[in-house]
Amino acid sequence: MQASRSSSRRRARWLWLWCAIASAGCATVRAEEKEHLADPAMSFRSGGAAQRHEEHVLDNREGSSGAGSARGGGCGCN
Amino acid sequence: MQLSAPSAVHASWPARIVAWTAALAAALPAVAAAQLQTSLGASAFREAGGPLSMTVLMPEVSADAQLSSGFAVNAAWTADVVSGASVAVVDAPADDVDAISSATVSDVRHVLGGGVRVGDHQSTWSAGYRYGFENDYRSHAFDIGARTELYDRNTALEINYARSFDSVCDGLDASEAVLKPRLTSSDDCFADGDDVRERDLSLQTFQAAWSQHWTGIFATQLTATAQILEGFQANPYRAVRIGRASAQEHHPDERARYAIGAGARVWIEPLAGALQPQLRAYRDTWDIRSFSAELGYEQTIGAGLRVRGRGRYYLQGGAAFYSDDYVLAPRGQYFTGDRELSPMRSVLLGAQLSWALPSDEQGRVLGVLGGLELVLKGDLLKSWFDEFHYDRVEVPNDTALLGSFALVAGF
Repeated sequence: MQASRSSSRRRARWLWLWCAIASAGCATVRAEEKEHLADPAMSFRSGGAAQRHEEHVLDNREGSSGAGSARGGGCGCN
Repeated sequence: MQLSAPSAVHASWPARIVAWTAALAAALPAVAAAQLQTSLGASAFREAGGPLSMTVLMPEVSADAQLSSGFAVNAAWTADVVSGASVAVVDAPADDVDAISSATVSDVRHVLGGGVRVGDHQSTWSAGYRYGFENDYRSHAFDIGARTELYDRNTALEINYARSFDSVCDGLDASEAVLKPRLTSSDDCFADGDDVRERDLSLQTFQAAWSQHWTGIFATQLTATAQILEGFQANPYRAVRIGRASAQEHHPDERARYAIGAGARVWIEPLAGALQPQLRAYRDTWDIRSFSAELGYEQTIGAGLRVRGRGRYYLQGGAAFYSDDYVLAPRGQYFTGDRELSPMRSVLLGAQLSWALPSDEQGRVLGVLGGLELVLKGDLLKSWFDEFHYDRVEVPNDTALLGSFALVAGF
């Protein structure tokens, strides 16, 4: 019973996500309206090496940060 | 990565770097006509308090060459140069900060890697490999990814999968975990030493991201990650006080980690800058749950000069098997001396300055470059460990500084 409820909940989440992505097609921003979106401040990954090093430090200084990205090569955590 | 002396195996790493550099130099004629971007950077991390300290220098060099409109290659080298003094036996008798038992830490970790990227104007596929090595750790990591843009490039979907095969140096097993001593040196690691053995750790990471432009001034990104770890996950050098004796910390071999993040970018027209909120929630099968909230603001303040400031708050619950005192309050078969597995919270404050040098009429910078950007970054990290003590002593090294610089040049 509980497994069935959990499965339904999981299906509902996928359905919600799929609907959300599909609805994104309705939010069309034309090329001439993207001046501000092209600004580096509107980018989600603009930190380069400095950002990677910060993520590496947080991976080792917090118990949970490691799940945010894929990397290997030792822990540097002593 | 502790109490190390260079071994015959590790003496070969300069030769490897020379070989990689030679290979890169040999390939340069082929990429001479390509669009090339190189990056040179370094970060310094410093955390100290009482007898404990940790300094890490992280240099990095990377290059990305677009060989044709649909094909690019990249290569990178990065290192961690670690030195300091770490806790040897957690909860050993300590009435004051100076009585905390510590051990010298010294090691260098290198990571060499490269990858390829193919695609067209809409979709990109990528694959890469990285090899990491240090005195007591080896890692082979492979990753593949795909990204596509939809709806007039207003929607971007991305998936990535990474697989890592790691080897960790450890001491010989005892008949029971509570009798196993900590590893005191990495001198014989990966050299067929009689007192050490290699333990495997396998990591699989899945990540999916959805980025969306909703209007000309509002964008969002949703990221979900899952990671499965199987194998040795403890710190072999750290011991925990169990009764009268101490034993190497003992962690479960299985761990599954799940995280979901949501971020937004909001353009503030009157200020000509962007607000950057970010939320992240996490849980894993060790029963650690955490939440972080971040707010940043970035603005262009002059010709190519940008400044960014931000604050981040992090809150975490402890692992199911964490205890501040395993003598009085044991938590089953596992025990840890890792303060990052205890309930904790932290605040990070940071600032970043980026300067893209202006180009001339021919679009060149300094006459020869396609672009040149200098990045300076500084962060202050303050943590609180309310339920973690070294016997009766509170954590003395709870404040850290991280400074970074990077130079990115395009040709």
